[in-house]
Amino acid sequence: MGEDLLRCDGLRRTFGGRVAVDDVSLHVAAGEIYGLLGPNGAGKTTTIKMICGLLDPDAGSVSVGGRSVERELAVRMLIGYVPQDVALYPDLTARENLGFLGRLYHLRGRELSARVDEALELTDLQSRGGDRVDSFSGGMKRRLNIAAGLLHHPRLLVLDEPTVGVDPQSRHAILERVAEFRRRGMAVLYTTHYMEEAERVCDRVGIIDHGRLIAEGTRRELVDRLGQKDRIELSAEGDLDALAAACRSVAGVEAASVSDGAVQIVVGDGRRLLPEVIEAAEHAGVPVRSVDVVEPDLEAVFLHLTGTALRE
Amino acid sequence: MRNVLVIAGKDLRQRLRDRSALVIGLVAPIAIAALMSAAFRGAETFHFTLGVADVDHGPLATALVDVLHQDGLAGVLTTTPLADPAAARAAVRDKKVGAALVVPQGFSAAAASGHPEALTVVTDVDNATAGSITSAIASSFVAQLDADRLSVATALAAGAPASEAARLQALAATLRIPLRTVDRPLGASELAAVSYYSPAMAIFFLLFMIAFTSRSYFVDRDQGMIERIRAAPVRPGAIVLGKALSVFVYGVVSLGVIAVVTSAAFGADWGDPLGAAVLCLALVVSVVALTTLVITLARTQRQAEGIASIVVFGLALLGGNFVFLSAAPPIMRTLALATPNGWALRGLTDLATVGGGLGTVALPVAAILGFSAVVGLVSGWLATKAVTR
Repeated sequence: MGEDLLRCDGLRRTFGGRVAVDDVSLHVAAGEIYGLLGPNGAGKTTTIKMICGLLDPDAGSVSVGGRSVERELAVRMLIGYVPQDVALYPDLTARENLGFLGRLYHLRGRELSARVDEALELTDLQSRGGDRVDSFSGGMKRRLNIAAGLLHHPRLLVLDEPTVGVDPQSRHAILERVAEFRRRGMAVLYTTHYMEEAERVCDRVGIIDHGRLIAEGTRRELVDRLGQKDRIELSAEGDLDALAAACRSVAGVEAASVSDGAVQIVVGDGRRLLPEVIEAAEHAGVPVRSVDVVEPDLEAVFLHLTGTALRE
Repeated sequence: MRNVLVIAGKDLRQRLRDRSALVIGLVAPIAIAALMSAAFRGAETFHFTLGVADVDHGPLATALVDVLHQDGLAGVLTTTPLADPAAARAAVRDKKVGAALVVPQGFSAAAASGHPEALTVVTDVDNATAGSITSAIASSFVAQLDADRLSVATALAAGAPASEAARLQALAATLRIPLRTVDRPLGASELAAVSYYSPAMAIFFLLFMIAFTSRSYFVDRDQGMIERIRAAPVRPGAIVLGKALSVFVYGVVSLGVIAVVTSAAFGADWGDPLGAAVLCLALVVSVVALTTLVITLARTQRQAEGIASIVVFGLALLGGNFVFLSAAPPIMRTLALATPNGWALRGLTDLATVGGGLGTVALPVAAILGFSAVVGLVSGWLATKAVTR
């Protein structure tokens, strides 16, 4: 990870007497995907709007690249904002939409044309650039919505629930793209209320509920708070007791037993220890047929922290 | 400023792609102006045929017929001789003439006696105007005749010899003050219906820009585009200014095209081009101000549509876009001066009738810009209030 690109300190915002966001502080580094996880109404979108300069915080500050978002209009050149709902003109073509938004980010002429081509290619829409947006499927509109946030090569990409209402194929494509943005060194702030998305793409996760950031860290760090362990389940042919004994010899394995025709292994970090467990099984001469790593998930973390399941 | 142009350019592109906007901005005003001009053609002038049954054939009857043939009445009536009162009544009943005037036998001779004969006007209930004009001419003639008779009688009573009566009668006739009636200001030309309804309809449909643009603002907002634009390095004012600029350009082009087409195709007179252009520019400024007002007053697209409809039709009705203001009651003519479209129509009709240029439209332009300034200030105040709420 690089240096912090986004820094939010003590953000607070109220609407009337209702506190929407209360003392939220977070930071995202270049090349990092930060997931802001929480149910609908938790304060994710309000936080994002303050980060993008669309709402002034009542208290606290936001800086991107060390520059204040509230005070410097030019900082918005560093931010790519992808709103939750598709924000495009349906009566314009994809290329016209991107061209219009690109001009607002001071792109002109050949550079603009090249950026539009690049954004369309990145979202697999190059063959539909000349078509009106109202002829697109929901998934295509979502991808174009993201393309519009990438035109000006932002250093921070803010994605507000980009996969809501899209089919699994488009969701997969969007998540693949987000991972690609990280590889390009972009900092990504990603809000979602889908646990599996946060687990799949985010390097770190912040859990927000009732406007407060109640926990933050890597998935591993959050899971560790629960005190629950990972479990590796090995299905094998042959002497399962010998296999269990071999696994117990691996450093980090806390327990291994035979149950339901398989070896159940309790470990701290299942993914990290898996290669050593497999190697131990090979040394024991017991061929492994299948492996399953069962980890406590963020859903369990959320339940633990808030006392409620994540509401859709 | 660059972002203002980008936003205005995008809005204009969308507007040009929207066929309904083209129909309302160009096709409908031209078509309706043509239809209304055709419907009201003839209403701006009145002419009828007057039947004259001269049974007297005396000098006064001849003098009356001469009056009917004078130049001043040529544009209003044409006379046709009728044999007798019965023929006059039949001609009126059969709609062959608009009205008839019967000069009874012995009318000239009786005028000099103490028992004059009466002129009879035969009128048609379906053509009251012709009857009224004929009655007015007859009354005027009789009044003049009575004045002559009174002056001769006075001279005779004062001791003039009776043998001088004929000479005194002729002398009295030469002393009449000539009278010429005109129905418009001195130096003005007649306003054709097409010259009124072409600008009236162009302005009426220009007012629809208020509804179009305020609606488009809320559609943009509901689609998240206003927020997306605000997330870019764009000052909030640039969004409003961009939309205002697109309204301005579209409005100016729309009025310009309609003026050219109605002038070339239907002979509409928009007056001095420079004066008309300045007037139209001022009017478009007022439309921009009114659009801003509607946007600041409304909270939703539906509210914007409702408020815009009230504004558009209220202004059109008060401003005289549907009826000739000159034929409207005085209260309507006064109320029209509370509207920018009313002032614009007044300025354009003045250009077409009185003539002149910038001087003719100076007052209407000042009034429209004053209206725009007041509306703009109110909009700004409402916008500030909304932000701080």
